[in-house]
Amino acid sequence: MGINSKINIVIAGVGGQGIITLSKIIGDAAVKENVKVLVAETHGLSQRGGSVEVHLRIGDVYAPLVPKGEADILLSMELIEAARNIDYLNQNGIVITSDVILRPPIPGVKLPKKEEIVSEFERNNIKYYIIPTKDLSEKAGSYLSENMVLLGALYKLADLEKFISIDSIKESIKTMRNPEINLKAFELGSSFITGI
Amino acid sequence: MGNEAIARGFIEAGGGFASAYPGTPSTEIVETLSEIANSLGIYVEWSVNEKVALESAYGASISNVRALAAMKHVGLNVAADALASISYTGVKSGLVIVSAEDPSMWSSQNEQDNRYYGMLTYVPVFDPSDPQEAKDLTKAAFDLSEKLSHPILMTPTTRVSHTRSNVILDEIKPPKTKGFFLKDNSRFGLVPANSRTLRDKLINKWNSIKESLENFEPYNRIENIENGKVAIIASGVSYQYAKEVLNEIGNYRLIKISTPYPLPKKFILKGLEDIKRALVIEELEPIVENQIKNIVNEEGLDTEIEGKSYVGYSGEMSLDRARKAIKEFLGIHVKQTNIKKLNLSIPNRPPSFCPGCPHRGTFYSLKRAVNSLMIKPIFSGDIGCYSLGINSPYDEQDIILEMGGSIGVANGLSHVAENQVPIAIIGDSTFYHAGIPGLVNAVYNKSPLLLLVLDNMTTAMTGEQPDPSSGITAMGEETKTINIAKIAEGIGVEKVVVFDPFNIKESTDKLKEVLSYVIKEKKPAVAIAKKACALNAVRIANKIKVEIPIYQILENKCTGCGICYNAFACPAIFVKDDRKAWIEPSLCTGCGVCVQTCPYDAIKPVKIIDKRWDSIWE
Repeated sequence: MGINSKINIVIAGVGGQGIITLSKIIGDAAVKENVKVLVAETHGLSQRGGSVEVHLRIGDVYAPLVPKGEADILLSMELIEAARNIDYLNQNGIVITSDVILRPPIPGVKLPKKEEIVSEFERNNIKYYIIPTKDLSEKAGSYLSENMVLLGALYKLADLEKFISIDSIKESIKTMRNPEINLKAFELGSSFITGI
Repeated sequence: MGNEAIARGFIEAGGGFASAYPGTPSTEIVETLSEIANSLGIYVEWSVNEKVALESAYGASISNVRALAAMKHVGLNVAADALASISYTGVKSGLVIVSAEDPSMWSSQNEQDNRYYGMLTYVPVFDPSDPQEAKDLTKAAFDLSEKLSHPILMTPTTRVSHTRSNVILDEIKPPKTKGFFLKDNSRFGLVPANSRTLRDKLINKWNSIKESLENFEPYNRIENIENGKVAIIASGVSYQYAKEVLNEIGNYRLIKISTPYPLPKKFILKGLEDIKRALVIEELEPIVENQIKNIVNEEGLDTEIEGKSYVGYSGEMSLDRARKAIKEFLGIHVKQTNIKKLNLSIPNRPPSFCPGCPHRGTFYSLKRAVNSLMIKPIFSGDIGCYSLGINSPYDEQDIILEMGGSIGVANGLSHVAENQVPIAIIGDSTFYHAGIPGLVNAVYNKSPLLLLVLDNMTTAMTGEQPDPSSGITAMGEETKTINIAKIAEGIGVEKVVVFDPFNIKESTDKLKEVLSYVIKEKKPAVAIAKKACALNAVRIANKIKVEIPIYQILENKCTGCGICYNAFACPAIFVKDDRKAWIEPSLCTGCGVCVQTCPYDAIKPVKIIDKRWDSIWE
């Protein structure tokens, strides 16, 4: 293993969107292949609705948390959360995010628009991929499979196969409820990237 | 997960009894054990609070069954009274207390260093650095506890308890679940005469405890011993951060500590051989640092020991914090990392009551009740999901201290705060935990306060562990439900009402009634909002295949007044560009409370509601 002997991924989203499940799928697959993995949940309060981050490190790693400015990938289930966590990204880091925007239930809250977020990504020369997770998950058969759409996109874009084979990821997805839908969502996420 | 690893360590050690009060980041230890309790034949319970959990585990240990008590760090404050006495009597079979620490306060009211409890109570403290070690050290702790007849305190932090990683398993040892208590009241009966003798014995025992930690590899170990001059000393999870930094900058000597108290002196002296300067990396307080400074002093060494002056006190360890401390200590230039920043104002997203949460209806109605009576309330809050009532638009948690604190504080307020009405707000689990003495006190001392109990029949905050309101035990057996209204009446509260928080009118009326009683009669009253946690209700509905009734906004009737999304603030209700409301079907849990908040009758169910729907929430 050389300089690329590790990968730092920060996964962001809103509590209840399934990012813990997403990180577990990758973690289980890595364990199956005897690759060192660290998955740290920073959710704290266990109920829904708040910002959630999971730090996922694979390879030659010891510390559980990814420092600011050192994530290779920022994976987000929600666009505002992608913008919030941009400080984790390293200089050549990639943002992979859902196009979904969820309004925090705060009276009179003002939200940045999708176009504003995208133009800020561009102004800062950030490499980004916006995935229509909602459409693709519905195509797969359930809006609950948005996280697997994102996983499909991640697997392609992050060169995860250097660490984990696609078979192990799929084996891991098969342990979920509704494996067919989730596998299909994974495939749709992957092929969306191939199609760009 | 680190917590699952601790549970695994317990069963690999042949543990037979586990008890806990749930609290993040400790909950999954006993939750995991509860799921396998019946198949393994071990006994597992959710205790009413941490003190009872520890006392129970102690009872098992002195009857020759290996026992574990788990809690979050502040839980040990509650259990400390027991711990301080247990070190006097010692134990029989292994007794391990796990206190999961929460530096950075991810889900706690404070960050405190419970390694101090080891010092205070003469109990050795073990601090694992990752999930693998959490498992192995738990096992080692049981063996040592039994060998020394002494309890052992484990203090994993959030980043060990809640990190998932590769763990190599060992064999499970068949559990010993039954034993015999051999009477010996000179040891177990702490009257002063016995305690004086036991105190001297404890001091002597402490020396053998220290000795037994001298050779404690691989948990305490010296890496890169061939390199002299400088050393990094790291305790608990900080070892993993230090290790990664040294991988980046060079193989300086690294002394790994898993037993922060008591520090084995000979081991430390060996680690400091040929060392001129050493830096201690640890979270929170300088526990290891100060002990090493003492050792260096006692031995008259000229080794320079640094720690907190480079590392700092607050918050959990991070790679950049460890990197900066180590580099500054070594005089290596610290490069600034370029941090990307967007020119956007991004709103906070605090956790909120779930869609369908009964607390939303309770807080909404409470606000209506106090407004319509035109009184000045003081909302004395407590620890649980309802702490989120501190956020806008509710703003109904003026004070939040600790478990059960709402009633005690309201008691003081009620005798002093003039023309203000104290309203203590507490959940069912927290009421059983430490709220009952406060209510006894209020009745006994005639304190004019309203106690509002939000009874959702579960410990919701930590993930729906059953409690005395649930009618089920940790092991899935049916049990008695302990009725809160009857407790209040039994204590002597003369005004007790129970209401359904999904019924806004009934809730508001009942709250007005009890508040008027408190003001007029100058006596305590109790109101109980009873409705199942939405997460549980939805789970039951899915299980018994009852379709969740989704609600929708009638475009033509909605005026965009904003009551449903701004004042009621359900996260399933969104606002469109024309200010009209819109309900996201994937988030709606069908509670239907928003219907009652809408002045224009613009919210309707999409389909006819299943007859069984209401009973799911009872």
